[in-house]
Amino acid sequence: MTGVTLSRWTMSYFALAVLCLLGAESLMTLGFGYPATDVGAPETLVLVHLVALGWLSLLMCGALFQFVPVLVARPIHSNGLALPTLTCLAAGLALLLFGFLQLAGGAGPAWSLLPWGGGLLALGFALALWNLGCTLWAARPLALPARFVTAGLACLAATALLGFTFTLVFGGVSDAQPLVALTAQGLPLHVVAGFGGWLTFTAMGVSYRLLAMFMLAPELDGASTRWAFRLGVAALAVAIICGTLLVWLGAGPGWMLLTGGLLGLAALGLYGRDIVQLYKRRKRRVIELNSRMASVALANLAAVALLGIALVGTGTLGAQSGALLFLVAFGWLSGLGLAKLYKIVAFLTWLECYGPVLGKVDAPRVQDLVVEPRAVRFFMLFHAAMWVSTLALLAGAPLLFRAGAAGMLLATGAIAAELVRIRRLADVRGAVRLPEGAHQPRLLVSMVRQG
Amino acid sequence: MAVDFVDVDVRPTLRGGGEPFGEIMAAVNALAPGQGLRLLATFKPVPLFHVLGSKGFSHEAREIGEGDWEVLFSPADTAPESAEAPAPQPADTSAWPAPARAMDNRDLDPPEPMVRILAATEQMQAGEVLEALLCREPMFLLPELAKRGHAWRGAFEPDGTTYKILVRIDSAKEAAA
Repeated sequence: MTGVTLSRWTMSYFALAVLCLLGAESLMTLGFGYPATDVGAPETLVLVHLVALGWLSLLMCGALFQFVPVLVARPIHSNGLALPTLTCLAAGLALLLFGFLQLAGGAGPAWSLLPWGGGLLALGFALALWNLGCTLWAARPLALPARFVTAGLACLAATALLGFTFTLVFGGVSDAQPLVALTAQGLPLHVVAGFGGWLTFTAMGVSYRLLAMFMLAPELDGASTRWAFRLGVAALAVAIICGTLLVWLGAGPGWMLLTGGLLGLAALGLYGRDIVQLYKRRKRRVIELNSRMASVALANLAAVALLGIALVGTGTLGAQSGALLFLVAFGWLSGLGLAKLYKIVAFLTWLECYGPVLGKVDAPRVQDLVVEPRAVRFFMLFHAAMWVSTLALLAGAPLLFRAGAAGMLLATGAIAAELVRIRRLADVRGAVRLPEGAHQPRLLVSMVRQG
Repeated sequence: MAVDFVDVDVRPTLRGGGEPFGEIMAAVNALAPGQGLRLLATFKPVPLFHVLGSKGFSHEAREIGEGDWEVLFSPADTAPESAEAPAPQPADTSAWPAPARAMDNRDLDPPEPMVRILAATEQMQAGEVLEALLCREPMFLLPELAKRGHAWRGAFEPDGTTYKILVRIDSAKEAAA
């Protein structure tokens, strides 16, 4: 047991992730992609992957390299793999996006960039999976939060494989029948594995631990948490594995997706109950901004479930899938991501700068690095604008959607500026800002001190 | 005088999710005068050091690989001989003095427990021991303790929710001071 040191490149992951979010919001504001174009148009694919890979997956990977070791009380398998992983993912994403633009009839080489982008992304995710997988493997038996993360990583593998398959077929590299069948019918599987398995299930696992930690609530590992895990894994396995088999047998994956959806709803219900318990049983009565904003994101997740039920019930899921996915990506995942980012960046910066001098000189508290009354307005703007955009999508009002996207862009830009201020210790006042022995952290790289 | 050790292996019980405390105490109570206990566990059983210490046993703990630990509990009257007899042990496994300071950090917001522990270590004398109760394993504190040259022993209490850490202040601190 040697404890956990800072992950050197986590801030670089976060920075690139936030830039991708700003880029995606700018494109939406300019009317690029859905709803101005079809939900399956290449422009929309650019947008969706900029959000799902560039923003959410990089954010998740950066956070996992730092917090999986905390979850399992073991050091990360390899610190050296984080930068090659980031390089593969960033280059793969750029090629993938240009490949989509080629599909839309844009310029570029005559040969498709898609397989190259898909290949590099698959390699990057394989490196991440190897690194995190070895860390988790060494820590067996795993507690429940780590099991959620493990299941989420398995879904990442499935998402990446399906996506790589699509790029091979669209890029003209392969016309093998099983791959073509998956490309024709497998898009919902790719979406469910990515947004439902990799991003949502992993976020659920991490939230169990982070919320308990930040609010001084007891760790949950009772029957309801165990069943939330089992039902969630069953939902994902039915949808992804059985769905794939059905596609190969020549049928559509529809029934399996519906069965998985019902199991998933049950899992979400239990998760919601657990989270309400965590908030109720917390010892810390006044909670920080990150926990308050996480509760808004969690309420948005409940709204996702209700909207999903309503759309299936009224037979409009096909027509409104874009709005539902928007609420998942921005209301739930981005809402939670931004809230936790605000805390994690402050904590890691504080630890990097003041950890070496704690107890020796006067040092600020973590909360001295942030100005919550200022930041809360930007978070509220983000969520309000997000709901305007979601309702505009449901109502078919593209101009209103762009206005909402502009609000989100403004809010994200302001939150990003807050994160830079935290990194620069800009809001720490007086002599405690840089006491003797403390060093100003760099913006993108954490200095890892050898113990 | 060589101590006759009775073996108790609680690793199967621990791996099965069981609570071995009763098993260990039964074995201790069954020891003949002058007999010691050789305990095999899947973690360093710090709480037991105190329980058995209060019953007059000294202990020597060493990691035997794959996270498992062997602890020799010797009756106190034989401890001086047994401490010199075996192969040299790293300094970490010697008996530590009773804690000079104790703090309960279980209800503090993170990272306040870490701040308080590091502040206390700066005020304490070389060789002194600090005892702190926490509500989770202090993963970010440990590298900082190592960097400052302090030794630590930590484990969850039998209740499974309180983590107790003992920190022994770097003996080099005295020389530096």
